[in-house]
Amino acid sequence: MEQKRVIVVGGGLAGLAAAIRIAEQDIPVDLFSMVPVKRSHSVCAQGGINAANDIAKQQGYSEYQHFDETIYGGDYLADQAPVLEMANFGPKIIDLLDRMGVPFNRTSEGYRQLRLFGGSLFKRTHFSGASTGQQLLYALDEQTRRYESEGKVTKYEFWEFLAPIIKDGKAVGIVAQDMRTMQTRSFKGDAVVMATGGCGLVFGKSTNSVICTGAAAARCYRHGVWYGNPEMIQVHPTAIPGADKCRLMSESARGEGGRVWVPKKAGDTRPGREIPEGERWYFLEERYPDYGNLVPRDIASREIFDVCVNDKMGVFGENQVYLDLTHKDREYLDNRLGAILEIYQKFVGEDPRENPMRIFPAVHYSMGGIWTTYTKGNYDPSQPHGMHNPGETPPIGTEMGLGMQLGAPNNMMTNIEGLYAFGEVNFAYHGATRLGANALLSCIFDGLYNGLSVANYVKNNGGIDAEQSLYDDAVKHEEDYSKSLIDTGSADATPETNPYTIANELGVEMTEASTVVKTGERLEKAEEKLAGLRDRFSRVRLGDAASWTNQSLSFTRATGDMLILAEAIIKGGIVRKESRGSHYRLDYPDRDDDNFMKTTVAKFEGNATRIDLHEIDTRLVKPRPRTYGKTDSKASEKKQETAAAS
Amino acid sequence: MANDSGFMERNYFLLRRLHSLTGILPIGVFLIAHLTTNSSLAWGGLALRGKHSELNTLEGGQAYFYHEVEWINSNVPHLLLIEITLWLSIAFHSVLGVYYARTGKNNTQRYAYQDNKRYKWQRISGYVGVLFIFYHVATLRWQWTFLVPGGAEWNHHFSVSTLAAALRGSYDSITFAGFVVSLFYFVGITLLVFHFANGLWTAAITWGLTVSEQAQKRWGMVCTALGAGLMLAAWSALGAAVMTDPVEARALEEKLIVEAHGEQHLLEAKEKYPGPAPTVGEEDIADK
Amino acid sequence: MSNTATTPATNSATAKQGRTVRFRILRCDGPGKPSYWSEFDVQPELNANVISCLKQIAEKPVMVDGKEVTPVVWDSGCLEEVCGACTMVINGKVRQSCTCLIDDYAPRDGDTITLEPMSKFPVVRDLWVDRERLFHNLKRVKAWVPIDNTYSLGPGPKESPESQQTHYKLSECMSCGCCLEACPQFTIEEDESKWNNAFIGAHAISQARLFNNHETGKQLKGERLDELAGPGGVADCGNAQNCVKVCPKEIPLTESIGAMGRATTIHKIASFFSGKK
Repeated sequence: MEQKRVIVVGGGLAGLAAAIRIAEQDIPVDLFSMVPVKRSHSVCAQGGINAANDIAKQQGYSEYQHFDETIYGGDYLADQAPVLEMANFGPKIIDLLDRMGVPFNRTSEGYRQLRLFGGSLFKRTHFSGASTGQQLLYALDEQTRRYESEGKVTKYEFWEFLAPIIKDGKAVGIVAQDMRTMQTRSFKGDAVVMATGGCGLVFGKSTNSVICTGAAAARCYRHGVWYGNPEMIQVHPTAIPGADKCRLMSESARGEGGRVWVPKKAGDTRPGREIPEGERWYFLEERYPDYGNLVPRDIASREIFDVCVNDKMGVFGENQVYLDLTHKDREYLDNRLGAILEIYQKFVGEDPRENPMRIFPAVHYSMGGIWTTYTKGNYDPSQPHGMHNPGETPPIGTEMGLGMQLGAPNNMMTNIEGLYAFGEVNFAYHGATRLGANALLSCIFDGLYNGLSVANYVKNNGGIDAEQSLYDDAVKHEEDYSKSLIDTGSADATPETNPYTIANELGVEMTEASTVVKTGERLEKAEEKLAGLRDRFSRVRLGDAASWTNQSLSFTRATGDMLILAEAIIKGGIVRKESRGSHYRLDYPDRDDDNFMKTTVAKFEGNATRIDLHEIDTRLVKPRPRTYGKTDSKASEKKQETAAAS
Repeated sequence: MANDSGFMERNYFLLRRLHSLTGILPIGVFLIAHLTTNSSLAWGGLALRGKHSELNTLEGGQAYFYHEVEWINSNVPHLLLIEITLWLSIAFHSVLGVYYARTGKNNTQRYAYQDNKRYKWQRISGYVGVLFIFYHVATLRWQWTFLVPGGAEWNHHFSVSTLAAALRGSYDSITFAGFVVSLFYFVGITLLVFHFANGLWTAAITWGLTVSEQAQKRWGMVCTALGAGLMLAAWSALGAAVMTDPVEARALEEKLIVEAHGEQHLLEAKEKYPGPAPTVGEEDIADK
Repeated sequence: MSNTATTPATNSATAKQGRTVRFRILRCDGPGKPSYWSEFDVQPELNANVISCLKQIAEKPVMVDGKEVTPVVWDSGCLEEVCGACTMVINGKVRQSCTCLIDDYAPRDGDTITLEPMSKFPVVRDLWVDRERLFHNLKRVKAWVPIDNTYSLGPGPKESPESQQTHYKLSECMSCGCCLEACPQFTIEEDESKWNNAFIGAHAISQARLFNNHETGKQLKGERLDELAGPGGVADCGNAQNCVKVCPKEIPLTESIGAMGRATTIHKIASFFSGKK
């Protein structure tokens, strides 16, 4: 029998963690990435990675509270059990990364330094300057390189995933294309792990890298893989708008004391640093006295949007607010936030240590993603636990297997057997909003914890039972599609049929219709626009007929896939007639637990998207209003409890 | 990982470090001594401590230099062995240096940083330096007089006059060929002094003596000062040698030989090294 | 933070909106094919960088002479100067194209910007080069911490904040290749079998230093130093020091070279007298 192998698609944190963990179980891994894995989008993560730690725990924090915060932050849209397992596993991940040599910031005694982050009143975020994602990715990249040099991992870099190969509901391999030679070929795999990240490019300008098209997820989706909560897109409150993309200004800027404000006088022409304290409106601090500038991202984005768009109070009358760090010591800032301050300086040409930064929200992260399942663990309370207050004894311990069953083969497996989704492309952990610094945690958790599940599945599975013709047909199908695109040529090309124009229009439309504030009417208009774009795409003209390194082909193919994913995002938004987390409908401003505390599951059937609502497992924590102590909210009585804790 | 099949590969580190070491010891140290001695042509007149009070400064320098050379050639033990060691070191340093230099490719057009220019000039000065040293040693030490315009043969009994004649192209006046030779000397010694000073700076990084940027900067100042000093020595030695009238210098040398060793010695030396064909009468010289 | 070549004096205040900027791009259809120059006129958007202009060209690839051509191929990723992908030679100097702001490089109407692929790596197509050798060199120096496994075995070694700051700086290296492109001693080598004996470059030398300084990484110190003492190792450095000047992350590469020079010296002398390899 042939040696069993696992295919991992994507070389970011989730993919690399999975590759390492699976290779460690003596199963060879074929690792596919469109870029050298060291350049994966995980490098862009800045702020840090959350996990309960000894200091926070002695102040009343716990793994359980981390779990509770994450569920509350996600507005009760996530299945609760996997989140519990992730929060409990968190500290192990930090220790491991520490052993791998990640240069976490240190206290003077040499312990790992911690910082505050959104959605928590405790310092539970470990960080490495302001480029934590980069440092974590490099650590995993180094370990992968080590396994590569030992022959346990085979890298296919600059290879693009085109399709899963599925036989009788079971994944048996993939089709991929070398982006340089344009060779298309199939690869056999006893299991396939999709770790292909988010889909920011569907929104044109986002904080994402140019590779984050979501095309790989869409290609799975087209082959019958379900997609969960597509409408849940996180808009990050603080980014620098640019001509090519929006550049992230990490939440850690606020975690380290950054304050968001606008001049009290609309259209004030004075430079920010010359406006006296009394003439500044710190609207987040005013509206959320407990969390202040550290409210979760969806809330901060909405408030900024409100101040700029509705109140017209933006700085210099434009859509921008100040993110101010000028009151902090220079050396402190360089030590903690150097990397992002340099980004600001390089792109804006102003020193953020001297001048408050001008920022605006931008699309950042997709909580939605490929739908996955799991085997529930041992913790099964007779009734859901109420709000967990700091200092209370957690109802359960932190051993493994409470949330999910350790090593169960179906953990984070899609509806296709043997096909897994890890990291951002997995919809499982963040519900309707992801808390800052939880993304790196979920990526690595998936790779390490659920990597074991993949290994177990492969070991217990009887091996591939698929004829060669299945693979050959799959390759042929993709080759034909590529050829049909290449053969369109550039004759009678117009903006109408230009792939780049279509993609740009898609981005503008999606950003307008489906980001901070949505309405049913606008979403339906977007649906029509998408239909028009799909029609135009069917007549697309490629403009490059080269059979060598044809980037236009790759881009055009991805554009087609983005259109499909966009449809799911819009349709999910239309179906969800409520407001929850990042999904804010002006026409349905309240959360509706009775009808919509459910997963929207997009299924691609008959060349169209259908949305089903699936029940959520909420047996661990009882939902409560998600107000973060907003001053005018009915739940302001909660405020005193939380304030007492801090 | 590196393929270490060949001799060069197996002993790569040793060869690299020997290359660096030979540049300093013996070559660099010799260069300092050599330039110090030669520059005494310029400053030796000030260091005679009352001896030869009848001579002017230039003549005094010549006298001083004459004594130095005489001393080296008669008092230094195993002189030939030292010389052979030096020649072998230079050959080793040159061959490896050229080999290593050919692995790089200058790019000062695009990256016109000062350090990068020195990288380029380190290699150019190496190439030119090899040619120059070969010419210098062949003509003045190995007496390949066919390479010397005017054919002057250097001799340590008449070190000043033969040197001046070799540089000037004749015993009489500076010829065009002599001018070219002098220019070659100027370029050669300038580049070699640079090569040594800059090499001393890079060697400190190569061996790991200077690690921090600050240390590299400080050591750079030391090397610059050393280089400037040696450059001054080299130029003054050359200047003094070219300005020396070989005929007058010969007369001085003969006088010094007589003073030190007596008439007989001079006659023997003259027989062996007849010197310039007299263009003026013997008496004229004696008058002076 | 000192000023480097990557932070040009800002001209954004004087840059005129609506101006036309000419792009001269050195193109190549594939390995072994000849290179040729193409010129495009672009009207940069507000806050434009080289990437946004290349995107404009991709959308409408019409040359100055009106001839329609294939879109220019280039490599890019994060567009925030942390992934290293979009490195190219702009106006003769290597740098990331995402941080190359048009207002700084071409503030006046009719200004020209030239784009070339990096010259030290084989061209794939147009501005896209194959930097595999760069990652190969990381394998040469075993640039990793040899941990036992990925299970929970407690925290890593404690570290002083000073030491962490040093390590963090070295660890910011994004393998972009600027240091190699600018290095006169690092030359293009298309034959993979020769990579192990060709100059390894500042990038990998600095990574060797990073891992030699790590408590657990030290276990491979000897192997790393043997590699750095061998052909193509740290002794090949000609100290032109361009690397440190073009490094977009201001990593003290020349200090790393000095440190590894010292370490190899000590290592080799020690093994000479201890009789080990």
